[in-house]
Amino acid sequence: MDALLRTLSLPAQILSRVPGLGPLVKVCSTTVGQKILMAISGLSLCGFLVAHLAGNLKLYAGEQSFNDYAHALHSLGPLLAAAEIGLFAMFALHIGLAVSTGALNKVARGKDYFIKETKQGVSILPGGASSWMMVTGLIVLFFLVCHIIDMKLKVGPGVDYTPALNAEKIADNEYQAVKAVLSTPSRAFIYMIGLVALGIHLSHGIRSALQTLGINHKRWNFILHWLCIALAWTLAAGFISLVIWAIGGK
Amino acid sequence: MSNHLLNLNLRVWRQSGPNDGGSFKTYQLSGVSTHMSFLEMLDVLNEQLIAQGEEPVAFDHDCREGICGMCSLMINGQAHGPDNATTTCQLHMRRFNDGDTVTIEPWRASAFPVLRDLVVDRSAFDRIIAAGGFVSVNTGNAPDGNSILVPGVRQEVAMDAAACIGCGACVAACKNASAMLFVSAKVSQLAVLPQGHPERNARVLNMVAQMDKEGFGSCTNTSECEAACPAEVSVSHIARLNREYLRASILAEN
Repeated sequence: MDALLRTLSLPAQILSRVPGLGPLVKVCSTTVGQKILMAISGLSLCGFLVAHLAGNLKLYAGEQSFNDYAHALHSLGPLLAAAEIGLFAMFALHIGLAVSTGALNKVARGKDYFIKETKQGVSILPGGASSWMMVTGLIVLFFLVCHIIDMKLKVGPGVDYTPALNAEKIADNEYQAVKAVLSTPSRAFIYMIGLVALGIHLSHGIRSALQTLGINHKRWNFILHWLCIALAWTLAAGFISLVIWAIGGK
Repeated sequence: MSNHLLNLNLRVWRQSGPNDGGSFKTYQLSGVSTHMSFLEMLDVLNEQLIAQGEEPVAFDHDCREGICGMCSLMINGQAHGPDNATTTCQLHMRRFNDGDTVTIEPWRASAFPVLRDLVVDRSAFDRIIAAGGFVSVNTGNAPDGNSILVPGVRQEVAMDAAACIGCGACVAACKNASAMLFVSAKVSQLAVLPQGHPERNARVLNMVAQMDKEGFGSCTNTSECEAACPAEVSVSHIARLNREYLRASILAEN
């Protein structure tokens, strides 16, 4: 366990030697600081989801409209690359902290209880969404890897990309490529599962992130709670609707 | 309320010392009055064990009226047993049925090592308090009670946080063994009052540092602590701790 702790603290030790970063490293190396980083990275990723869904809803506007949007996005060139690096950094930070804090939390419990019950009310998932963050996070990660292979690299095994190949390059007909992926039964299944997991993850994650950033007031908690859940499931349902649309449109 | 007598199966964690592995032992206890408190039931069990020449079960207790925070116990997987806002000493045997099996475990956290049987070492909490859970005042005569006026609503917020009796049920119930509810109560009770302001930044930074040093887990906002807390301390104090921590991290002078 000591070896694990030493390995986990290595990046912090190296960073703390960089002039001017000392105070920042000090904050980020406490449990509270790490949860704050977790919250900031999680909310940033949520911001990406909002933009991603807004763009993808262009699928409903038709082939021309969606392809125009895709071309405009790709023509950003270096700006898009920079955004993608930022996005990757946020994912790496969020996942890395989840693994490290998760491991330390197991150590903090030590020996587990023979019986563990709760005084909290019943929820649909045993223990509520908060008990499923690691599981749903891993499902979303798996889905994300599939998604990048299918949509960005366009080498998804079992996906028939021929409708998209009508144009000179694959990249030229994103609309057909998206339809080809989403109407492949195995992909529709994986994407559905991944997106439901995303909804569960966000239904705890968004409110939890706000609490970690100190946002909690009895005057606003009720509306805040439901707004966060509404945002979580609106995002998930928005993406899911596109999968259903693609299956139906075949 | 009529008095019934219960026959119970008690599955109790027995551990002879900090370095012993420990294991569960099962005891039969008959004729337990429903008027007894849970701790009185354990007293009766210990009388029986002593009569049989066995070591009595060690457990923490003091005031037995729900205010000192000494009693603990994980009873059938619930910190302080099945009742809301109730300490183990205030839990009565009428909450149990004849023939029940009752599993009794100590608090489980690396920062709360088991000393013996059901007794854990909670001095990690004392060290967190010593790190900043105080206000510095000159000794001498007590200051005039109303020399600094505090609005009633503010006093209530401070009192809600100060209701914490430091029993450790939050740590015991949390899936991460996090002490955030305890620390947030001790930070909040002073942070919302003018008397606590001069040491506000150092307090939260030092207490969080000590909390981490003791090896408590981090908060994943499951609110399990709030549900288990016998003093009904709210997780809104955890949000205040987070605000205080952010503020102090950015603004502290040293």
